[in-house]
Order: sequence, then structure tokens, then C-alpha cells
Amino acid sequence: MGGRLKISLLLAPAVLVIGTLFVGGLYAALVQSLGYFPAIGQTEMSLSAYREVFSSGNFIDSLILTIYIAVASTVISTTLAVLGALALRRSSGTVSAVVFQIPITIPHLVAAVGIALVVSQTGLGARLASAFGLVGEPSDFPALLYDKYSIGIILTYVWKEVPFVALVVLAGLRGVASELEEVAQTLGANAWQRFWHVIFPVIAPGVVAASLVVFAFTFGAFEVPYLLGQDYPTILPVTAYNEYRSIELSDRPAAMAINIIIAVITALFAAAYLRLSRGLGRG
Amino acid sequence: MSASLEIKGLSHRYRKGDEAAVSDLSLDVEPGELVALLGPSGCGKTTALKVISGLLAPTSGDVLVDGASILGVPPEKREAAMVFQKPLLFPNMTVEENVGFGLRMRRVRREDSSRKVEDALRQVRMDGFAERKPGELSGGQQQRVALARALVTEPKLLLLDEPLSSLDANLREEMRELVKRLCREGGYTTVFVTHDQEEAVVLADRIALLFGGELQMHAEPEAFYDHPSSREVARFFGATNFIEGEAKNGSVETPLGRLRLESTAPPGRTTLTIRPEAVRLDESGENSFPAKVSSATYLGTQVHYELDANGVKLRAALPPHIRLEKGDEVIARLPAESLWALG
Repeated sequence: MGGRLKISLLLAPAVLVIGTLFVGGLYAALVQSLGYFPAIGQTEMSLSAYREVFSSGNFIDSLILTIYIAVASTVISTTLAVLGALALRRSSGTVSAVVFQIPITIPHLVAAVGIALVVSQTGLGARLASAFGLVGEPSDFPALLYDKYSIGIILTYVWKEVPFVALVVLAGLRGVASELEEVAQTLGANAWQRFWHVIFPVIAPGVVAASLVVFAFTFGAFEVPYLLGQDYPTILPVTAYNEYRSIELSDRPAAMAINIIIAVITALFAAAYLRLSRGLGRG
Repeated sequence: MSASLEIKGLSHRYRKGDEAAVSDLSLDVEPGELVALLGPSGCGKTTALKVISGLLAPTSGDVLVDGASILGVPPEKREAAMVFQKPLLFPNMTVEENVGFGLRMRRVRREDSSRKVEDALRQVRMDGFAERKPGELSGGQQQRVALARALVTEPKLLLLDEPLSSLDANLREEMRELVKRLCREGGYTTVFVTHDQEEAVVLADRIALLFGGELQMHAEPEAFYDHPSSREVARFFGATNFIEGEAKNGSVETPLGRLRLESTAPPGRTTLTIRPEAVRLDESGENSFPAKVSSATYLGTQVHYELDANGVKLRAALPPHIRLEKGDEVIARLPAESLWALG
């Protein structure tokens, strides 16, 4: 009993903060998205903001772009992270610390600026490519920022999220996986068979969980696409921000509706992924 | 199927400058033979086993199977199945899938493999558990499945790394018999790593005793009791009687008097040893001397006595029908055929 009380007390501050900010914020957003906005004299609830959002081509373009960036960033980060972790699993802690832990400490905003300095048409990459004769002028360097494929955004996310996923995978690999791999090896399994039949099933739950976090983050994050993204279409969080900043207060319910939609989609993905990962765990 | 194994001058260092975990180990295992690599923890026995399996590369030396070096052969092609201290079953697979793993990796036809898996599970008395997941089995059951998983591949070499040490005492004895029977019936060339001398004696055809990475003695189990090569070896096998002396003309001058040996003792200073079970009490004749009982401990099937004879402490183990008390004066005799001079 004492243990349970202690756990409750220890969790209380976190629950309080999350409860107030997250649930409270979500509730406020929800009622505003339904049109309850006394500041402009609106107190009647309706779904008109949602109808408005869904009927605009703007929203659909935005949604597609957001899903594209989130999926691309997640798939590329996860793949590179698994490969990186496999390559570094037998190395010392110092190597993986340098390779993986340093990028984690850099804020996304700083990473975005760093990537911009390297890959913009006036950046380091363009000048080096020009100096080595790979492109004529630095301005011939392909546009990787503010471009329709959102390369700069995805690059930033990959640079930031690979280390995060890799550290999770590495923790799994350094556990029982290496012993299981030795067993498999003495039973005649080659490198690919060992990875596919033995290692992957062990690290899969971790990979799924980490990539889910990456997906949820890249789906809902604002600052990197805001800095490095094109003007149209913008990703959902940027669209919501623009609606929110609109001088027309009547646009506010639409902004909140988009936020609610982001939250619902992320939650749906999370639910689906968790189901899948539970299936993987059972094999 | 079963192959011969030969280890020549094998050394392994984990890192440059480290002390060798195994140094200059030479050993031969005949086809179908079960050799126990015995020694205290940290003596290099697991390292040696991993080198044989290919999971570690030796710093120097060679490993030969049927006369050909296998150092260039990757572990997965060595056909040297290993069973570890922990069962290490693949958690995502059923018992049946675990046992069939090696066969699937070798792309054995499904009909053949499912028959072999069934046989293997029956051999370890785990038929009926085929559909279970490892998490639903007890430790002993898991280890039996691990054994079946190795045996089903019909390996040239069977490498067992303390597979029984994580089991409790009753189960360990039962598994010991099972391992022994399966290795005999299957005729596997087996290297069995253990720190338990009783286990080594029960299981092995021959024992290789390692201390600090060095081979001390490689012989049949009885030899470790009757003719140990050194005081350390004798002690590891529970010998406690050591009598210092000077050998000349075929007998040894000791504080207990002149003792005759059936085996030969090299001239010069030597140490004699004798098993407590071989010491006779209340018997006069050759090699006998007066002694005083300094303690008697009743152990049910045996009584252990500590004797003091002219300053030499001796231990004797006798059947319980001879009852002596502390302080009794007796005549002790050390039969010539049971005395052994350590090198």
C-alpha cells in the first residue's frame, strides 16, 4: 500500500502538468473548433469549421504534404538508424556516444538552420559542389530548401531522428539479441538469416515504438517546416498557425479544427502501430 | 557423422596486453567421445569452447576437425552446435519452430524436418509442448528444448557450455542423465564445459582440467582421483591428505615412517597423497603407524575422521559400522596400492 501511495505521489507532478497543459489545451481547442468562441460573441456549437476545413483544397494538399513528410522522414530515419545501430553495436560506448548522442542534444531549430547553411544554393554544399566541378555555378545546385519535395525538411528530421531511433535499437541489440545471434550462428544461420529471423523480431518492438514517436513528432511539429518549407502547400501545423495568426478572429475555429484533426490522426496512427507492434512481439 | 576434434597450441587473448584467457591448449577428442572441460570460473574453458565454435578467433594455434583446420570456416558452416548456460530460445518462435530452426536455415525439406523435430522433442521428453512459446515453459523445459534444437541438426561437434548450471539440483541430475544418454546414443563428439567436478566425472569419457587458461591434466575421470598430476589437481578433486617426504630406493621417508608405494616415486623431495576412503584404521601391517582421532563427524553413510599422526594431519572416510570417538588411539594404515606421489 505504501508503495502504491509513493508511486502516486511521485507521478502527481507529471500528471498535473500533463493534465493541465495537454488535456486542458486539447479541451480548449476542441470547444473552439466547434465554434464556441465567446470573444467574438459565438457560443453556439457546430461542425461548420470542420466542414469549411475539409471542403478547402488547401487542407487536402496540406494533409498530403504532411503525411508525405512524416512517412518519408520516419521510414528513412528508421532504416538508417537500424543499419547504423547494427554497424555500431560491437563498438565501444564512446563511438556510439559521439555518433548518436551529440545530435540529440541539438535543438531542431538549430539543426534546421545548420541544414540550411549546408544545402541551400548559397550554402557550403553548393559551393563545394561547384568548386569540385560537380555543378557549374553554386546556383545550379538543386534546390533542396523551400522545394516541393521538402528535401531540406526531411534531411533535418533524418539528421535529428536517426540518432534517437538508433539509440533505442542499440539498447535492444546490446541485450539478449547478441546472445541469441550466437546461438543462431552455431545452428547454421548466415548473416541475413540471423538478422531476419532472430535479431529483427527482438528489436522490432523498440523499432516500432521509436518510429512511432518520430512519426507523431514529424506529423505535428511546426518549426522545421515553417523555416525550410515552401509557401504552398504548407504542412498542417503551419496551416493551422497561419489560420491562427489571421487577423480575422473568425478563422480561429478553423485553426483549432486543424489542430484537432492533427491530434486525431496522430492518435489513430499510434493505435494502429501499437496493435501492430503487439502482434510483432507475439510473433 | 561424428568427427574427431584436435586442438593444437591454442591461445586466446581478449585484448592485446591482456593475460591470455587460454594459453597453449592442446587437446584431442575422439569421434563420439565426450570430453569435459573442467575448471573454476574464469579458467578459460568457455573461451576455449567459443574458439572451437568459431564465435571467437584464436590468437594462435589451430583447431582441426577430422584432421583439417576449420579456422577459416565461419561458425555457421562449422556444424558445431552450441548449447549455452541459458536456454536462449528464440522468444518469438514456438518450441517446434525453435527446434526446427537449424534445419530451416539449412533449407531441409519440410517433411524431413518436421519428422526430425518430432523425434528430437520426443528424445528430450518435450513432445506435446510443440506449440508452446518459450515463455510458457519452466527453465528445465527450456533447456531441454535448447538441447533438442542443437541435436536435431546432427552436428559434427556438440559444444555444451555449462548447460545444467542454471538448473536446480534435482533437475540437474535428471538432465545430466539425459545429456549422457543422448550423447552416447547419438554418438556425438562432445565438449562439455563445467565447473562442477562431480558433473564432469559422471558425464565425461575424459576430463581436461584447466587452471588459469592452462591445461593441468587430460585423462579418464578415475585418474584424477587415483593419480592426480599435482597438488592443485588433487585438491580440486577433493583430496586432503598430503604427506611430505623424501623418496629413495623405491620407498618414501616421511614423518609417518618409511612408506612403500606400488607406483614409482621420482627420487628427491616429494608429496604423497591418498584418498580419505583408502585410509584404513585399526589395521597393522605395511605402511601402518599409530594415530590419534582428533575429530569424528557422522555423515549417515560415512564417518569422516581427522587423524593426527606424528604432527601429520590425515583425513579418513569409513563406513559407519566402525565407530571411533574423538581421542581414540588407533593404528592407521596407508595401503601401498593407494598411495600416489605427486609430480
